[in-house]
Amino acid sequence: MLKPKAISQVLKQATTGGVKATLLLNSEGSPLAFVSDSDYDARVYAAIASNIWSTFDKNGKNLMREDNLKFMLVECEKGNVAITMVSNMLLCLVATPDVELGILKAKTDALAKHLEEPFQRVTAYTQA
Amino acid sequence: MEGLKAVTVTDRDGVILIKSVSNDVSQRVLEPALSTTFAVISDQASKLGLKKNKSIVSLFGIFQIVQFNHTPLITTLVADSDSNTGVLLDLGDELKEITDIISSALSDRQVI
Repeated sequence: MLKPKAISQVLKQATTGGVKATLLLNSEGSPLAFVSDSDYDARVYAAIASNIWSTFDKNGKNLMREDNLKFMLVECEKGNVAITMVSNMLLCLVATPDVELGILKAKTDALAKHLEEPFQRVTAYTQA
Repeated sequence: MEGLKAVTVTDRDGVILIKSVSNDVSQRVLEPALSTTFAVISDQASKLGLKKNKSIVSLFGIFQIVQFNHTPLITTLVADSDSNTGVLLDLGDELKEITDIISSALSDRQVI
């Protein structure tokens, strides 16, 4: 099974160099694990990020020939948010504006790749 | 620009003001739903605690959509998924000069 402490440690490794928060959440917006300075901020990021993702995913399926959403980048005045899917969960990274969008995407992709395989196993186990 | 399939400037209700669409892309990309969804989501993203939302990039398998919050207008770029996102974001900033002219004309009209 997955060790919650190990997940937090992996997320912590990504929360460096201007990345303020790293969250793993389910599709309903409940955080499963997160690393952030503030618990309140993390819950706000989780709720809004999951809603943004699900709305665009639905929109994409309707308009873009049943195409699946793979990655999202939300650019705000005081920070950027990257969201991607890992197994049936969402991975969300929040960074300051001085973090280049390319490095933010690279970090998100690397983390998603790292978590994909163990999470696939958990998904298979829960579905069995 | 290579890979760019469609550019639209709409209002928050999805009414198209300016458009340019490539022949090899579905007309569905012109549907108002794309802009209206962005209008709602951009408002929500502005509540993240990171000040106002500027743009949203959504990457799909075949296409990527880059949308800009040029209040009160929305600029949407639809391109191939392997197109250079940085160039698209830069293009959006360039287009802001045009949308700013329209925005100020609209606000002048509203005063009258």
